[in-house]
Amino acid sequence: MDVLLTDEEEMLKNSAREFLEAECSPELAREMERDDLGYPPQLWKQMATLGWVGMALPERYGGQGLSLTYLGLVMEEVGRHIVPVPLHSTMTAALTINADGTDEQRQETLPKVCSGDMVLTWAFSEADPRYRAESVKMEARRDGDGYILNGTKMFVDNFNASEKCLVVCRSTHGSQGTDGISLFLVDTSSPGISHELLTTLAKDKQSQVVFENVRVPSSAMIGEEGSAWPIVEAMLDRGTALLCTQMTGAARKDAEMAIDYSKNRLAFGRPVASFQSIQHICADMIMWVDGGQLLTYEALWRMDQGLPASVEVSQAKAFCNEKCEAVVRSSQIIHGGIGFMMEFNLHLWFRRVTAWTLRLGTTFEHRARVARALLDQPGKMRLGRSMYQTASR
Amino acid sequence: MDFAFTPEQEQLRQEVRDFIAENVTDSVRAEVEDAMDEGHGEEYMKLRAKIAERGWIGISFPKEYGGQDGSRIDQYIVEEELARVGVNVGLSGSGGPAILAAGTEEQKQYFIPRLIRGEVTFALGFTEPQAGADLAGLQTRAVRDGDDYIINGQKMYTSSAHYATHIYMMARTDPDAPKHKGISIFLFPMDTPGVTVRPLWTIQNDPPAPMGTTYGMGRTNETFFEDVRVPASSMLGEENMGWYVGAMGLNLDRVGASRYLISVRRDEDIVNWVKENEFDGHSPSEDPEVRDRIAEMWIEAQVCRLMTLRSMSIVEHGGNFTYEGSAEKVWAPEHGVRTTEGISQILGPYAQLLNGSIGAVEDGVFAHNLMGSFQSGINHGSVQVMRDQVARRGLGMPRG
Ligand SMILES: Cc1cc2nc3c(=O)[nH]c(=O)nc-3n(C[C@H](O)[C@H](O)[C@H](O)COP(=O)(O)OP(=O)(O)OC[C@H]3O[C@@H](n4cnc5c(N)ncnc54)[C@H](O)[C@@H]3O)c2cc1C
Repeated sequence: MDVLLTDEEEMLKNSAREFLEAECSPELAREMERDDLGYPPQLWKQMATLGWVGMALPERYGGQGLSLTYLGLVMEEVGRHIVPVPLHSTMTAALTINADGTDEQRQETLPKVCSGDMVLTWAFSEADPRYRAESVKMEARRDGDGYILNGTKMFVDNFNASEKCLVVCRSTHGSQGTDGISLFLVDTSSPGISHELLTTLAKDKQSQVVFENVRVPSSAMIGEEGSAWPIVEAMLDRGTALLCTQMTGAARKDAEMAIDYSKNRLAFGRPVASFQSIQHICADMIMWVDGGQLLTYEALWRMDQGLPASVEVSQAKAFCNEKCEAVVRSSQIIHGGIGFMMEFNLHLWFRRVTAWTLRLGTTFEHRARVARALLDQPGKMRLGRSMYQTASR
Repeated sequence: MDFAFTPEQEQLRQEVRDFIAENVTDSVRAEVEDAMDEGHGEEYMKLRAKIAERGWIGISFPKEYGGQDGSRIDQYIVEEELARVGVNVGLSGSGGPAILAAGTEEQKQYFIPRLIRGEVTFALGFTEPQAGADLAGLQTRAVRDGDDYIINGQKMYTSSAHYATHIYMMARTDPDAPKHKGISIFLFPMDTPGVTVRPLWTIQNDPPAPMGTTYGMGRTNETFFEDVRVPASSMLGEENMGWYVGAMGLNLDRVGASRYLISVRRDEDIVNWVKENEFDGHSPSEDPEVRDRIAEMWIEAQVCRLMTLRSMSIVEHGGNFTYEGSAEKVWAPEHGVRTTEGISQILGPYAQLLNGSIGAVEDGVFAHNLMGSFQSGINHGSVQVMRDQVARRGLGMPRG
């Protein structure tokens, strides 16, 4: 039992920090908010060359074969520097292709992902934004040796920049809940697909994607027809845990900015940092980030061990949603009026963290999942001991 | 990072559990419960001796003083199991860590093995009527007289002073120095002439709280010192350095399994209670708002657990926490209050029923908690003062 980072973990994090500090200024994040593509391909390529995109993908595809935890540490730094690259969406999809795809699917995508030549994304949400199987209405109808997809996906991250997209569908007409769910690896340029960017407060690139009679071959299916729900759930869990690393990374930086600002800003003839009420908010901010980070690390660690981790993932996301939001909001407050000004950089973090609290499961949804694990299975619960099996979305 | 206990540690936990199943009989439990405010009875002391024989008390203390030179994580495991049956084996709040760090060889050889065997227990004499959170404002005086010191003054809330063998107390030895720089610590027997103890009863005394309640203390004391003569050798650390010795000891005492458990045990209790019980056919576990609240509390409890393990990990690496111990001491007590109040809204009017009442839930433990859970956020460093420490020591923010 040792919840601290090892020397190697620390080194990795530091090297990611040094690189991103130098290569990604807040101005870049600002610039990409107005960019059509939404990310600088050159920086993306550089990050791939450094091995970070392939961090948790196998060596035979050009990756580094390292743990999800390592990737999480890099993504914490990506969050810290609000790096405008499509790492989260690409990883969420690529890790699923690696875990559950066929050899051909892996060959077709992973080497390009590792080299920085392919951006990926995934599409789950539809009109009903809840991350549960019931929300999936999009239809995949068998047709000869392929499938025809019809439906509308919402909040698809970086769809505009992605070559391929994992699409969650219902392949059995009239099926309920987790039954009848299938997953497809779809070319985003397939005929019948159209997309429109949403206007979001983070000014990120999320799209509404409409599928109209989109034909995909059977070879595009990941997992078995109609029984892909466990694959989808694992994808969402990995994506959620990785998103938490970005959230805690960004929130910690945001807290540090507030602390620094308060030390230099004078009011009533003294630094505002010397007021106890300000000190106590800052103390809370750091404790909130620490708590979210510890929960996230435990979830990642469990996934790396191959242990069930859905409860830990939901613990982390529910906590990060509330507390990281509290951190960035408190930081705005400590900055007084200036933090509200467009020309000041603080809002770049504020708006992103806020957006991330809304992605991949609300606080209520994740707590409901923890509650199911706690209350709907027999047996006494005990703190410090894990509790599985019934914790499903 | 590694969030698993080793197979040896899992085995240790199992051994402790087996030991508890075998040795912590109902009569021992009853005695522990009854004696909580009156020191320890015969059965308890026998049990404690058996635990000490296994080497489970003071595991991380050095071998030469009766410990095991063992890991802080092992100690955490044993402490976590035994705290649940009311036996404190981590020696937190015992004065042990400060004695090890600052004591003379003689003091270490005398006190540490006796603390481990349970032959010595200290009352802690810090607080005074005019010095609580601002402890350095204390006024009790110790004046040198030949080879002795003469102590005069009054301490407040000296818990366990009515059955402790010794007192670990702070007194002012240099009234002219700045307030933090004129304090010394003394360790001496409670039966030293001139020491008188008077009870102070708390709101949890009638009826006495069930075991494991937060805070659960029915009685504390005020202790008076009238021309109490103690030898100079009873001073811990150097003269006028007592503030620093005491603060370091308090800091070390702030972390560990029992401190975190005291604030999270109700989470476990309420989950298990709502699963197994209902009010006239309706279980609160079916209500969406209850489920949300319980999950929220459970998640917070995990944060308390992980913050404790973080402090343990730092100690295990031979490090010193700067703000992490204080963070733990903010999170656990405040969580304890939130969860206690949340539970009371789940149980509604049943949450007010004390032990002995018709309809009391779980022997009134939730009701007692409502009266006392906030107290762990005041003692041993109030949450306000702890936040000051996080901000100043952890974040480098300036004093006001
Ligand atoms: C049941 C019980 C058992 C106890 N056992 C012991 C014991 O064994 N030995 C012992 O020595 N003491 C013991 N105490 C005393 C305990 O440690 C003190 O109560 C505590 O230190 C607070 O002191 P006070 O009660 O004088 O409150 P005060 O110091 O008067 O504080 C009042 C309030 O002001 C706040 N405050 C104080 N300073 C600041 C600041 N700088 N910034 C913001 N807020 C501030 C406090 O947090 C508190 O909320 C015990 C107390 C109780 C109730």
